[in-house]
Amino acid sequence: MLEIFELAFMQRALITGIILAVVLAYLGVLVILRKMSFFADGIAHASLAGVAIGVLASFYPLVSAIAFSLLMGLLIYYLEEKSKLSSDTIIGIIFSSGLALGAMLMSFKSGYQPELISFLFGNILAITWLDLIIISAVGLIIILFVKFYYKKLVLISLNEDLAQAQGIRSKRLKLVFYLSLSVAVVLAIKVLGLILASALLIIPVATAKSFAKSLQHLNFLAIFIAIITVFLGLLVSYYFDLSTGPTIVLLGSVFFFLSLLFKKD
Amino acid sequence: MKDKALEIKNLSVSLGGMNVLQNINFSLEKGEVAALVGPNGAGKSTLIKAVLGLVSYKGEIKILDSKRKSIYKLGYVPQYFSFDLEFPLTVNEFLSFNTKLKDKREIDKALKEVEMYKYKNHKLAKLSGGQKQRILIAQAILSDPELLFLDEPTTGIDASGEKGFYEIIEHLNKVHGTTIVMSSHELSMVYKYADKVICLNQEMYCSGNPNKAITKDVLEKLYGKDTELKAHSH
Repeated sequence: MLEIFELAFMQRALITGIILAVVLAYLGVLVILRKMSFFADGIAHASLAGVAIGVLASFYPLVSAIAFSLLMGLLIYYLEEKSKLSSDTIIGIIFSSGLALGAMLMSFKSGYQPELISFLFGNILAITWLDLIIISAVGLIIILFVKFYYKKLVLISLNEDLAQAQGIRSKRLKLVFYLSLSVAVVLAIKVLGLILASALLIIPVATAKSFAKSLQHLNFLAIFIAIITVFLGLLVSYYFDLSTGPTIVLLGSVFFFLSLLFKKD
Repeated sequence: MKDKALEIKNLSVSLGGMNVLQNINFSLEKGEVAALVGPNGAGKSTLIKAVLGLVSYKGEIKILDSKRKSIYKLGYVPQYFSFDLEFPLTVNEFLSFNTKLKDKREIDKALKEVEMYKYKNHKLAKLSGGQKQRILIAQAILSDPELLFLDEPTTGIDASGEKGFYEIIEHLNKVHGTTIVMSSHELSMVYKYADKVICLNQEMYCSGNPNKAITKDVLEKLYGKDTELKAHSH
């Protein structure tokens, strides 16, 4: 059964998927604590504009999408700090504006656009070695950042005043977290598609919460469940000829609902 | 004369273009318990945040005879905050994340001080309001601070939890000599535990011993004309 991983594209898909599972599940714990799943969703959808810029300019779309997501993360942070609008209003505006801009830019390019479809819904065959290198390198930087500042990130998520009173520069740290999260979500768009990219942030952590005895335990379980979900999702999608992104997400959802049945109080 | 723990001169704070505090002046001696009283929006939390350096201000704040703030000398218990009840952060993890922690043994010591040692590996979110408040005090006393600030500490706590809470505050003050500043809505507790009261409603309307400083006139300025002076034990 595992001979499919002798195929080069499946090897790339598996390695990329596992790296994404680790990065997204690790960040996902903080996303759930901060109630930021809409932020992740908004960035993923808005990144269509970044993809479109790359496609139109014949530039590498993953890189232009990462650059665009950084801009969106910065914009959301700035508006949250400077305006009196609520966070979900700001994200809602960024979400729809980015998506609309992406759709408009894409309409300037005539004919069938396979690249667009693969970014919308994810395409495991589309993962190149260059994608793998970029996702690994950027993913590693994000993990190192989160690992180094983990305690402080948890504290600012629980109560920003308390964190500041302990000498933590919460605003700067929050900004870097927003940017890391924006980039992490966009890294997933080639595998899961920008419509489903945020799913790996949320679903494995939500599943793991049913069994976790501590935060450390939650991190371990969420990463483990995310890796298993990606691995099985790849296998199922290959053997049943299904789209990989949706298969991984649906499998994750099945695990989540099963977790509710076996949940320990 | 005792050393000053806190000295505030001509303090004013504006937030979003609104004057939240104007021309506040008072001082506290080491070992005193002070209560900040006033209606919602009076600026009690803002005053605490200004002293801790969490909001910008005009005027002068001296802590322990210094204009420089040492986070190790200050403890802070924020207003009751809640988070996802299913989030599995344990008491031990929460306390170990404190940036002021130098030695993990301090966690056990702080938990014993607030009589919560047996809850060390329990999930923080599952504790009752009163128990959570004790854990917040534990994190505030990890570095053995000289000055402890508590913002509306008894909000969300039932009567028995409240009594236990004030006993801990009294213990910290009497046994460890910690200077305490807390904002409160409950005047009966202010009379019972505070050496000094600061009455706020954007401006300062009184400062001094609660029995003398809280008059009918002051209460009317704080809470409106229909306010009655409640019976208290003095």
